[in-house]
Amino acid sequence: MRRLRQAYLLLRSDLRQELRDFELVLTAGFFTVVLLAMFYLSFAALQAKAHVAALPGLLWLTVAFVGVLTLTRVFDREREADTLRALLAAPVDRLAIYLAKAGMTLVVLLLCSAVLVPGLWLMFPAGAGFAAQPWATAALVVLGCVGYVAVGTLFAAGLATGSGKNTLLFVILYPVTTPLLMYALVTTRALLDGDPAVVDYLGQMVALDVILFTLAALLFESVLVGAAAKPPTHAARSDRRAPPVA
Amino acid sequence: MRRLLPELCLIAAMPLLVYSVQRVFLHTPNERTMGTAFKIFFFHVPMGWLIMIMAVICGIAAGVQLRRRSRRAGCVALAASELGFVTGLGVLLTGPIWGHATWGTPWTGDARQVSTALLWLILVAYLLLRHYGPRTSERLASALAIFGAVNVPIIYYAVKVWKTMHPSNEVVGKLPPEMRASFWPCLLALVLVALGLFAVRIRQLYLADELDEAWVRSQDRAA
Repeated sequence: MRRLRQAYLLLRSDLRQELRDFELVLTAGFFTVVLLAMFYLSFAALQAKAHVAALPGLLWLTVAFVGVLTLTRVFDREREADTLRALLAAPVDRLAIYLAKAGMTLVVLLLCSAVLVPGLWLMFPAGAGFAAQPWATAALVVLGCVGYVAVGTLFAAGLATGSGKNTLLFVILYPVTTPLLMYALVTTRALLDGDPAVVDYLGQMVALDVILFTLAALLFESVLVGAAAKPPTHAARSDRRAPPVA
Repeated sequence: MRRLLPELCLIAAMPLLVYSVQRVFLHTPNERTMGTAFKIFFFHVPMGWLIMIMAVICGIAAGVQLRRRSRRAGCVALAASELGFVTGLGVLLTGPIWGHATWGTPWTGDARQVSTALLWLILVAYLLLRHYGPRTSERLASALAIFGAVNVPIIYYAVKVWKTMHPSNEVVGKLPPEMRASFWPCLLALVLVALGLFAVRIRQLYLADELDEAWVRSQDRAA
């Protein structure tokens, strides 16, 4: 309960900061609209049959791109003000930090999805499938975003504690989250086709989300600060490297 | 004797590999519908199993490294990822050749193909992170390897869940006896090669680490 309260307080602080300048929501939202416009210019001329095949990809590619942008920015804020170190030194449960950051990213991603899904529906006739099953669409988007955020927060936090090289987030996150995005693609396709198996697929996505979220939550502390230190003979050696032999 | 085990594995694998190749190409009958292309199966399947085994070993070793700060586990994880990379490359090269001959197209976007490619990409990302990542990247790389290991059951069940064109997981058991008899020597030869290289690479990485440590100690003493 204490952990949840800490997570709530941290999330509230992040949301309050966001409400002051709307930096994350505006940049991620604008990026979503730009991607939508690019997709429209590239694929609007295709036949309606091709739209059904392309739409799931467009949806989840946008989520993947916007997700990385948001995750990078969420932790950049902490890094710029050097507050992540302070947060780690404070008597705050590490899991609460994870939950708060994941919550913040999820809020931004869901707001972007609220622009993205209606945008796809308006731009492509095949998107009518989203409007035909609004609850299934909402569940699909939430489940996909939750899984993505669960994994993304872990790796973005790990990179934020290191020295730079945020570009590695792209290298790590896309391969790791693609199984989830594959499930999301299959489910979106089933939804657009009106396939009754969509409920089963959503169930499988729930299971996958639970696995990813649990694993990420378990690993968060170890990735962020490392395991408890061993005696000094073995500690502190890994950071030192011998110079290349001439 | 234990120290010579990797070399023994490699030495034993050499004649076995030659025997397997000649047995597969000269003494195993062609499959009725797929013809000669089916011969790829005898090398493709063992490599497919090996990438999954290596990903699991990498994930477990990375977990130990993360939990206990064990450098030896770090070496095991890195060696497993490198071997997984090589066997994965073998699978991804032989699979499309077989696919072209049987399905008429090298890449169908089949769930098994895509998920194997993804597992391979995770191993590539792990290697990139270990080599080019920031100071704390070893912890991050460990987490990545653990996620890679979790991906393995997804790959295994991909064939069942997504109703793909890829042969099912029980295909080896359904082979005719003369084909199955050729499959086991191939599997054994490739497993021996993988084991030998794996052990040699672990030893090499560990020695490199020891060398680093010795250099740091000598610098400390000089200071």
